[in-house]
Amino acid sequence: MANEYYEFFCPVKMVAGFKALEHIPFELTSHGASRPLIITDRGVRGVGLVDIVTNALDAVEMQAVDIFDDVPPDSSMLTVTTIANLYREKSCDSILAIGGGSVIDTAKGVNILVSEGGDDLRAYSGTGVVKKALKPFFVIPTTAGTGSETTNVSVIRDDESGAKVPFVSPFLLPDAAILDPRMTLSLPPKITAATGMDALTHAVESFIGLAKNPISDAYAASAIKKITNNLADVLRNPSDATGRLELAQASTMAGIAFSNSMVGMVHSLGHSVGAKCHVPHGMCMSIFLPYVLEFNLEECRENIGELLLHLAGPDVYAATAVADRPRKAIDTIVALKEEMYALCELPRKLSETGSVTEADLEEIAHMALDDGSMMLNRIDATFEQALAVLKKAF
Amino acid sequence: MLPIKKGFEADIDYDYQRLYVSGMMKLISQMLKAGSQVDDVIKAEVAEMPEGFVFRMAVTPGTLKLTMKKQDGRLVDLPADYTGKPDLTMTFKHVTFAFLVFSFQEHTAQAYANERIILDGNVPMSMKVVRSLNRLQTVILPKIVAKKAVKTYPDLALVQKLQVTTKTYGQFLLNLVKER
Repeated sequence: MANEYYEFFCPVKMVAGFKALEHIPFELTSHGASRPLIITDRGVRGVGLVDIVTNALDAVEMQAVDIFDDVPPDSSMLTVTTIANLYREKSCDSILAIGGGSVIDTAKGVNILVSEGGDDLRAYSGTGVVKKALKPFFVIPTTAGTGSETTNVSVIRDDESGAKVPFVSPFLLPDAAILDPRMTLSLPPKITAATGMDALTHAVESFIGLAKNPISDAYAASAIKKITNNLADVLRNPSDATGRLELAQASTMAGIAFSNSMVGMVHSLGHSVGAKCHVPHGMCMSIFLPYVLEFNLEECRENIGELLLHLAGPDVYAATAVADRPRKAIDTIVALKEEMYALCELPRKLSETGSVTEADLEEIAHMALDDGSMMLNRIDATFEQALAVLKKAF
Repeated sequence: MLPIKKGFEADIDYDYQRLYVSGMMKLISQMLKAGSQVDDVIKAEVAEMPEGFVFRMAVTPGTLKLTMKKQDGRLVDLPADYTGKPDLTMTFKHVTFAFLVFSFQEHTAQAYANERIILDGNVPMSMKVVRSLNRLQTVILPKIVAKKAVKTYPDLALVQKLQVTTKTYGQFLLNLVKER
């Protein structure tokens, strides 16, 4: 069902494809910037991905003023303040974020402080507090899953209270996202699979959620098709640069879709399992996706049936009776999960993660009901219903 | 072409919409106060809010608002001139959007999905507040209306509904008498 009203917003320039990184110097100069600070983490720098970017800058006599490579897996306000001080000390004029979700969220926080001033990021927390354009900011994702390069949100942990503090503003969006297949070539198989399933979940939840709209549907449908066509092939042939680029684009497209139409119960459960048992986000998404689709089936049978076209292609869709399409769509996702397990042992059930026990499920169900993603799920789950889904997924 | 809802076709004067929303906000705050005293479901939600938690539902530019606080384990309404910063604010971008929700043409989650409401503050608490509002509407409204007012109408037997409805309206009246 289409909504009677919707909004759609994505001002991020996409710089994508063969030798995309070599476009960064031009992007910087076109924003009047020449002294970028690179923000990344040790893993990304360790595998040489930062060198590819700095070499591309060096070739046109442009240097990164400094490189901060100590972003933790869970972005923190203390880190944001440290990086903002470095930015000011070195008189930088722009930010290049190279990494996954934590690096990108951290860089968004840094951009708030260096643009708005001050040392206390908490002053800018909440929705719409940042009201003006920030410093030139470019994102180079190194995973194909989070879609953070297209979202107007940053979630950063307050080191004092431990709380995860949200910052929401359209001005947090980067000026450009640079998608280059070289950035994801070295991604290990299990992370490739988990982040691919994360992107698939973004697209699917956006496609069936309460805030779905025709434009986000187009992005979601295309993302689903790219993921199902390429994910298994890339796992079989990790150096497939074309397939890697397809996945990177799918992740960004899914990010555009869900940043405009949000996500649902798969994320509510996944956030809660992540918080309680520290299971990686993409893994949770992969585990829960078919079970939540089953839970939502009666309320959005038509939309789930439509998914089959994008998941399995026109031949399978045409050969499947209308009434059977929703079930077939769910079965196709289950089959994809089995394939991921066969290729890289991506867990299919919570019990296979080794991090969740049955005794954890009640608390997880309770936490999931208070997760904001539940708001736009097609059905308001009760505690008993959430627990039942968790038990099936265990 | 996008389907147009009756609420838009009716083209009700903004002044009347404002009057209606203002009245409904007063009614909802009083009913929520009563619900937090007698309805086990709302009581359970409120029990998990921190003591002193303040939430506000407002309409841009802010003249229409209801502000409630958890005090002594239940919800109480705060005066219109309360100047503190609430822990959670749900702001309708226009009086028409509040009118759509309060006249049960669009439920709260759909209004949020349609970008008609801005949520600012503690997200887990916003889920508790929305669930409390949903529960209130399922209890105090006839089923045919309540089904439009909430996203998912719960499994609530008629006898059980009548019992809770009676208790909630009874407490509401009792509170009114006490406050006179």
